[in-house]
Formats: sequence, structure tokens, C-alpha cells
Amino acid sequence: MSQYDINTPRSTRAVTHGLPARAGLGLKPDYFQPLAKGCDDLGFIEIHAENYMVAGGPFHYYLERLCEHYALSIHGVGMSIGAEGALDTEHLQRLNVLLARYQPASFSEHLAWSTHGPCFLNDLLPLQYDQQTLNRVCEHIDQVQNTLGRRMLLENPATYLQFNASTFDEPTFIREVVRRTGCGMLLDVCNVYVSCINHQWSTQEYLQALPLHETAEIHLAGFSEAFDRNGQRLLIDSHSAPVAAAIWSLYQQILEHTGPVATLIERDNELPGLAVLLAEARRAQAYLDNHGVQP
Amino acid sequence: MSNKLNTLSLSATALTLALTSALSLVTLPAHAADDMEKCFGVAMKGKNDCAAGAGTTCAGTSKVNDQANVFKLVPKGTCEKTASSTSPTGYGQLMAFKPKM
Amino acid sequence: MSTQQRFTQALLSAEQTFPAGLFCHPDAESRFAVYRNNVFSSLTSALADSYPVVAQLVGAEFFAFMARVFIQTFPPCSPVLVNYGNAFADFIDTFSPAASLPYLADMARLERLRVEAYHAADFPGVGFEALSRFLEYPEQLHSLHLKLHPGTGVLCSSRAVFSLWAAHQGQGELAEVDPNHAEHLLVLRDALNVEVLLLSKACALFIQALQGGAGFGDAVCAALEEDNAFDAGPALALLIQKNLIIHAGLSEAS
Repeated sequence: MSQYDINTPRSTRAVTHGLPARAGLGLKPDYFQPLAKGCDDLGFIEIHAENYMVAGGPFHYYLERLCEHYALSIHGVGMSIGAEGALDTEHLQRLNVLLARYQPASFSEHLAWSTHGPCFLNDLLPLQYDQQTLNRVCEHIDQVQNTLGRRMLLENPATYLQFNASTFDEPTFIREVVRRTGCGMLLDVCNVYVSCINHQWSTQEYLQALPLHETAEIHLAGFSEAFDRNGQRLLIDSHSAPVAAAIWSLYQQILEHTGPVATLIERDNELPGLAVLLAEARRAQAYLDNHGVQP
Repeated sequence: MSNKLNTLSLSATALTLALTSALSLVTLPAHAADDMEKCFGVAMKGKNDCAAGAGTTCAGTSKVNDQANVFKLVPKGTCEKTASSTSPTGYGQLMAFKPKM
Repeated sequence: MSTQQRFTQALLSAEQTFPAGLFCHPDAESRFAVYRNNVFSSLTSALADSYPVVAQLVGAEFFAFMARVFIQTFPPCSPVLVNYGNAFADFIDTFSPAASLPYLADMARLERLRVEAYHAADFPGVGFEALSRFLEYPEQLHSLHLKLHPGTGVLCSSRAVFSLWAAHQGQGELAEVDPNHAEHLLVLRDALNVEVLLLSKACALFIQALQGGAGFGDAVCAALEEDNAFDAGPALALLIQKNLIIHAGLSEAS
């Protein structure tokens, strides 16, 4: 019998309600050992669900230990909520097993699609914002929330293209999804900024149209910069750089509306030493502390 | 299976001797929990990410070698240092990669 | 054709087609290319993480090219990417630009075994005492069934993949390896650590037979057919020492 029997939920671990309004960090194997000792700078850690859909070994060994020190956020990257086809129920079941085992304080997914037919494309692809898509996304979120028996958070996307046939603007579409499904919002500040620059939208108008009071988690990340062939600025959501100045200032502005909210430093590529990311986490924590109690 | 081997391997004495010798060779105790990670060094990365891939627009627009060019592309990694008894130079595999056009 | 179907086909097409008319940008094509790059770049990185020595053997440019053809031919069919690349070794076998590296596909097989060992389910090894008690039943040892840890893999190669792999870990000189020398190896996980060990062919056959459900007697027999001097003692000791025997019983089902 496996010491990590995936069919046995952790009945001894208390179910928590939401992430603490503190700074957190995306967990990478490079940081397993240093973080396993505990670290006061972090209130939570976040994992990508799909990376932990493995039977055993170091990933589960360390995650078990890390959960003794930090609240856990499980962030899905492969559910393909916006897919034209039906949700992959096998994948949803895998997710259910993972959540039953770790009882995370939060589960989130993306407003995007990444599968078509049997094919998984491993990128968060953009949606055509129309009534049909809205209905489908809401049905899929209902299905996820009903299967998992919990509220999920939906993350706003970073996009490089807009569809001709869209009839909603992005924040209005998100507001509708949140209103109809009761899901919460994972506000990725970097994605807001990247999309607004890429499509020449106003960040102020974008934020005003979002249901900011439903924000249960914030992501902060760096981006990289390019130009399209028309010479227009094109930002890429690369998660490979420190959190940019523009993102920090947008973040402080958002906190004015949301009050303190769990905030993740998200770095997936060009990983620096842990100390560099912990310094960013402390900076986020300082802004959180400045915003005191939730209004 | 030959009769000779049957006699050899199926003998209860031979198997008992093998198990006895195996157990006598095992000297280390099983891992204590604290020993689990003692020499854990190589961390395999998680393969699922939610970030954009490396490179930007240019990488996605540049056309890759078409079929005609396939044979121009040859391995250029450490294989060049690999001794080969079949290669006239004793080194490298690049000889085999002469364009076939 | 649906929007997402058009999008998918254009992303994966070898001709790098573009689904014109869907988007409202003066330069939608270069923006679409960002997504195409994300797909190929992220999947190529996933493969390079799983197959680091294959990547070193061929170099980054060739690896990216080989990965691109693989991704176009066999895109992932599950969002769990750790399993992506199961078919990579068989693909390399048929990939003619790599034909002059006859050890490349087996190197991919070795590296796949390492990934599988790393993430395999956790089982404690049966202890010394549990195995000792079978000495009381000498007449039944023939049908002693030893179940091995799921992270255990055996590879029998007609090439020197162990030595080539070891040379990329700083053990031995690459230039001194004769790649055409057959080698047999064991991939295992002991606690949290994945190890690769060189085996004799007889020992490899012994472990493979156990994995295939053969009893102790038949497994020893399979090894003796290869080498009549095979000594099962050290082979069994290795399995015990590395905690690879996770169940022992006198019938397969027990």
C-alpha cells in the first residue's frame, strides 16, 4: 500500500476557507528544499495542478511537507474552460483526486482554451467573446464547481489577438461569467497590463468594468517586450522577468479597491535564486500591510 | 528450456543458497525517513507552465527547414565527440550526414 | 470549420498557415505567430527537460527541429505533460536525419525510464526479515513471486547507452566510449533518488523476468540460459538493498 494513497483524502487536515491575504510564491522544484524549512515571508504557495498529477516521488514528498508550513493554492493550466468541445471529464476527475488529497485553500483556472479534440496545445489560447462562448464557459465552470464541490477562481487572460466576431469586451465578459457562475476572480495584474497595451485598451476602463470586489487572489509577474510588424508594442506574458514598475503601481491602485488580497509572485522561466523572489514577496507584503483591513 | 538448466535452476538447494547469499550480502538497513532526501540533488522540472514560451514573434514566423533542407541539418551536439568504430576518423557521425541532394 | 478548429490547424500545420479573417488587427499574422511560438517552444522545452542527454547529443538546433516534427506528428493528447514524449524514442527510430546516431533512440528510452522512475508511486521495500522467512520453505522457493517497485525499468540495448549517458554526467570520457558495444541497464528510484546502474545481460533478463511475473525459479532459469555462471545472490541482494522488492509471496496473486 502506498504511503501516499491518492484515494484517501486528508481527513486530518482542516479545510481552510480561502487563501490568507499575504504574499505567496509559485512553487518550483528548485525551491523544494529551501522552502521545506519554512519561511516567514510567505503566506502561501501555488502549484500547477497538472505537474502534480503523478503517482509519487519527490513532487508529492515535498508538497506534503510544504503544506505543513504554507497555505496551498492549486492553479490549473489544462482544463480548457473555453474549449468548444466538452470538458475532459477524465482530467476533471484527476483534479478532483488531487484536491481531495491536498484540500487546498484555493483552486483557480484560466479564461482560455488549450485543447481541441484529442489535442492538448499547452498554451492559453484566446476566446471569441460572444453569447455562445459565454454560455459555454458558464456551463463548463458550473460543471467544474459541481464536480469539485467548491467555488473556483477564474483568471483573466493575457492575449495577443482579438476576434472580429467578439460582441463583448473582455472585462464585461468576465463580469458576466462571475455573475452567472458565482466563481471568484483571480486578477492577474500583469495580464491586465499586457492585454491593455497589446490592444490599446485603457487599463482604468478595463479595471472599472471588472467585478474587483470578487477578487480572491492576485498574480504579479514580469513580461517581455516585442513589436508586431506594424511597429505596435506587443507585450508577451513570459513570466521570465522581475515584476515591472508599471505592474507594481497598478497593483497598489487595485489594492485601494480590493483591500488586502492573497498575492502571488509568479515566475516560471529564467528562475532566479529564491532570495530574489522572496524580496519581491516582501515588497508585495509591504503594500498589503499598507492597505490594512479590508474596507 | 534445456534439461540441464532445469536441473540447475529448479533445485531447491540452489534457490535457497541464492536467497541466503542475497540476505547475507544485504548489510544496510532500510532508509529511515530522515534519510529520504539526503542525496536528493537532481530536481526534474514540472512540465506544465502557464507562461509564454521562450522567444517571441520572430521564432513563430521564421519558416523551418522544409523537406528539401532536412538533410542539411545535422546533429551538432556532443555526438561529435563520440568515438565510433565505424567512422573512418574514429570520431563523429557527421560523415554520414553529407547532403543527399 | 469551427474557429478553434481553424486556429488549431493553423498552429500545427507544417506550412505555418494563418487563419485569415478571424482577427481585427492590421498585423494579425505576426501576433498569431506568438501563439504558434508558445506552443512549439513550450512543448520543445518539456521534451528537452525529459531528454537532456538526447538534446546534448544532437545540439540545440537539431533537437528543436526534431522536436518540431515530433510535435506536429504527435501533438500531446493529455494536459498532463509529464507523460508527453512516451512515443519519442520510437519516433527517433524512424526519423531519418538522426539515422547516423543509432544509439539515440535507446538514449531516449533510458531518459524516459528516468522520468517514469522519478514520478512512480511510492512503496516501501519489504524488509530483510520478511524475505528471510521464505528460507523455511525451500521446496516452494521456485514459485516465490517478487513484485518490483513500479519505478523499476530495465533496458537492453545493442548500443553503449549506459556509458554514453554516464559520460554526460561527468563519469568517464565521452571520446573513449565505443557506442556500438551492447549494454544493459537498470533504472530505479531508491527513496527520492533516481539511479541508473549497468547490468550484465543475464542480470537484466533475471529482473525483466521478475517484472513479467515469473517466479524466482523461472527468473533464475531465464538468466542461466544466457549465462550458466549467473549468480542470483548478488542480483537479488541489489534488489533488496535498493528497496525494489515491494511484495514477496508464494503465489503471484498474494
